Amino acid sequence: MTALSTSGRRAAGAPLTAPRRPQIVTSVHAEWTKLRTSPGNVWLALAAVVLTIAVSTLASEVVKCPATCGADTTKLSLTGILLGQAAMAGLAIGMISPEYSTGMIKVTLAAMPRRSVMLTAKAIVVSAVVAAIGIVSVLGSLLAGRLIQPHHGFTAAHGFAALSLAHGPTLRAAAGSVLYLLLVALLSLGLAVALREPAVAATVVLGLMYVLPLLALVSLSRVWQHRIERWTPMEAGLSIQATRNLAKLAIAPWPGLGVLAAWTAAALIIGYLLLRLRDA
Amino acid sequence: MTTTTVTPYRSAQSAGRDGFWSVLRAEWTKFRTLRGWLLAALVAAALMAVLPVYLAAAAHGGSVESCTATGCQIEGSSVAVGPGGVAVLDSFYLVHQSLSGNGSITAKVTAPTGMGLLPKPKPGSPILPKTQPWAKAGIIIKTSTAAGSAYAAVMLTGSHGVRMQYDYTHDVAGPGGKAAPLWLRLTRSGPSLTGYESADGTHWTKIGTATLPDLPATVQGGMFVASPAAQVVNESFGGGDNMGVFPTAATAAFSHLRLAGGWSAAAWTGSRIGGAIVSPDSPPVARPGGHSLVHVCKTCGGTVPEGYRQTPAGFDVEGSGDIAPFVPIVDAVQVSLDGILFGLIAMISLGALYITAEYRRGMIRTTLAASPHRSRVLAAKAIVIGLVCFAAGLIGAAIAFPILEDKLQAGGWTGPAWPHWSLTSGIGLQVVIGTAAIVGLSGILALAAGVITRRSSGAVAAVIGLVIVPLILGIVLPPRVADVILAITPAAAFSLQRALPRYTQVSNACAPYHGCFPLAPWTGLAVMCAWAVLGLGLASYLLRRRDA
Repeated sequence: MTALSTSGRRAAGAPLTAPRRPQIVTSVHAEWTKLRTSPGNVWLALAAVVLTIAVSTLASEVVKCPATCGADTTKLSLTGILLGQAAMAGLAIGMISPEYSTGMIKVTLAAMPRRSVMLTAKAIVVSAVVAAIGIVSVLGSLLAGRLIQPHHGFTAAHGFAALSLAHGPTLRAAAGSVLYLLLVALLSLGLAVALREPAVAATVVLGLMYVLPLLALVSLSRVWQHRIERWTPMEAGLSIQATRNLAKLAIAPWPGLGVLAAWTAAALIIGYLLLRLRDA
Repeated sequence: MTTTTVTPYRSAQSAGRDGFWSVLRAEWTKFRTLRGWLLAALVAAALMAVLPVYLAAAAHGGSVESCTATGCQIEGSSVAVGPGGVAVLDSFYLVHQSLSGNGSITAKVTAPTGMGLLPKPKPGSPILPKTQPWAKAGIIIKTSTAAGSAYAAVMLTGSHGVRMQYDYTHDVAGPGGKAAPLWLRLTRSGPSLTGYESADGTHWTKIGTATLPDLPATVQGGMFVASPAAQVVNESFGGGDNMGVFPTAATAAFSHLRLAGGWSAAAWTGSRIGGAIVSPDSPPVARPGGHSLVHVCKTCGGTVPEGYRQTPAGFDVEGSGDIAPFVPIVDAVQVSLDGILFGLIAMISLGALYITAEYRRGMIRTTLAASPHRSRVLAAKAIVIGLVCFAAGLIGAAIAFPILEDKLQAGGWTGPAWPHWSLTSGIGLQVVIGTAAIVGLSGILALAAGVITRRSSGAVAAVIGLVIVPLILGIVLPPRVADVILAITPAAAFSLQRALPRYTQVSNACAPYHGCFPLAPWTGLAVMCAWAVLGLGLASYLLRRRDA
């Protein structure tokens, strides 16, 4: 709570007209301190990077060309995002839900009564952290794919170039995956503010993340499969990773990410409105 | 631990066994009286009842297996009803004559050799073995030439050695260790048929005996060749997959033919058994050179050779099709039951909250002060949450199953392969009780994860990661990796929801998302039980070690 106490001391000791740091800066500083010092978050961030790269490496390792030359090598090398996104959601939920459990939220809102500033500060901090983790995870995954895939038949002889960020669609998939993680984290933050209870927030986010796509994958109704792939946040958002057979996608890469962005915006707005309307 | 110093007289009364019952009662009371928890369980049960029905109603029969531009769905058109009402494939080429009364047939047979994939697949498709693993060449005695009639046969297969098979579902492996070509013999004595194999035609080894009670006095016997359709899945890991079913054919040479007993001594006749081999089909075209046919598949642009040719030593026979039980690729019951997953994650979060809420509010200190035997508290909690989750799953699945069965039947999942299973049939009970067991054990896992992590979001994420995420990884990773993941994680228990039977003598390009799991149903449940026991063990250890 160093940030809070410094700003408190300064407010008490200095005249009211003295120049102060903008509220958003102190709030971001406070949120960053909370995130940095709460136990487990460092481990969660490390686990996210390790898990993402490990699963991506596994996927690159087990898919081989003479058997399945139809593979989308870029998307394949980013398979780990499927698991990494859960850690991002966990980080975002951990920014707010435990505050409700422990009563910390009352302190936070006493220090920063403006709900919009508090929520924006949390969003900024979680975005920065998730972007950093996402960039490391995505680059690591792509590097693993670039090193491994040529040994498994994805060579020029079969029409595959080594993964490279100089390749337009691969760059779009890589940058889009980082944006995807960012949007997933913000969606989780919005839902966590709205739902308060961490277990409920985690259940809803993971349900959106894993159960809905699963229903699309197994569904025996092509119509429903198409609808789920087109309009649910995670399925539509992940279309940003596709670099082959784009015509077969239920929704094109950028519009797909747009669908996720719309869900995220809705969740944040609902979270903000509930935050304003309800007592802490 | 101040209680012991205050009550020194307690020792006169033994706490005894009812100590556990009072803990159990206390834990049940805690669950029952918490506002909204029973309601949440009821809502979860309702979700588990409604969503599977909805998924079943949206599933259209035949939408998955059909004739596409890359391959013809040939199985659906030739499914027959075998002995006991089982759906079977009975489609092959037979060179036969009739046998009255007892007798035997002996022949030296080469292993069936595949004639490649017909038609040729597109470039980039997976390379398949030229000979199908379950291509069959051998001798057979069969009630009649009608598809689905009772039979017994000894045969060489593409890569599964010598087998004796009878009445479609029975499969006995030969002793093995001998290289093809092999001598095969089939002897009929009343209703029993005995198969033998030999490396030299003089020393015979019995493979097995089949008893076919309804075998008439006069039967058909002879040489046959069959080669099952190849199911080709072009997996593109991201671009979706497309599946084609391609007819294949195999050839084998028969020599040293010896008949004993009441054979008709007429000339051998070549017959195609079963319906059309390719669909849509055109009438078979005669090939130059005698008793040979060619089936033309117009839409796939390929031809399937069948027929026989007399050689100096005996016969060369070409055939296509299969003699085996028919199992559809997609298990519509299993796939529909994935609708329970939303209810399942709700119960998982309830299971985690059951303990993490106590940690958060400090109630855990009261609980452990009231009953200092921590493992006993954990056991009571596991029983309560396990039973509540089991009950929610049971109610949901028992309501859903009969309705989803009706919906599937109405949606075209009919025919011999899709009997109407009632709730009280063996399959109905397995599916419903299995679903309840999956929910119950997931609740217990969530409780254990809650004790271990003491954070509800972490516990929920861990259990969803163990129970549901493997199902997704099973789809995005290749089948052999998927099989490992789905055999070692608690998700193995979802094999309990499979309604269709499984046979080792049928190769099926069936993936987990079609309803095929690597483990047998009750083995899968055992894996999940092992996880629950391990989880509770670790939770109990940590609960005793740590301060509350």
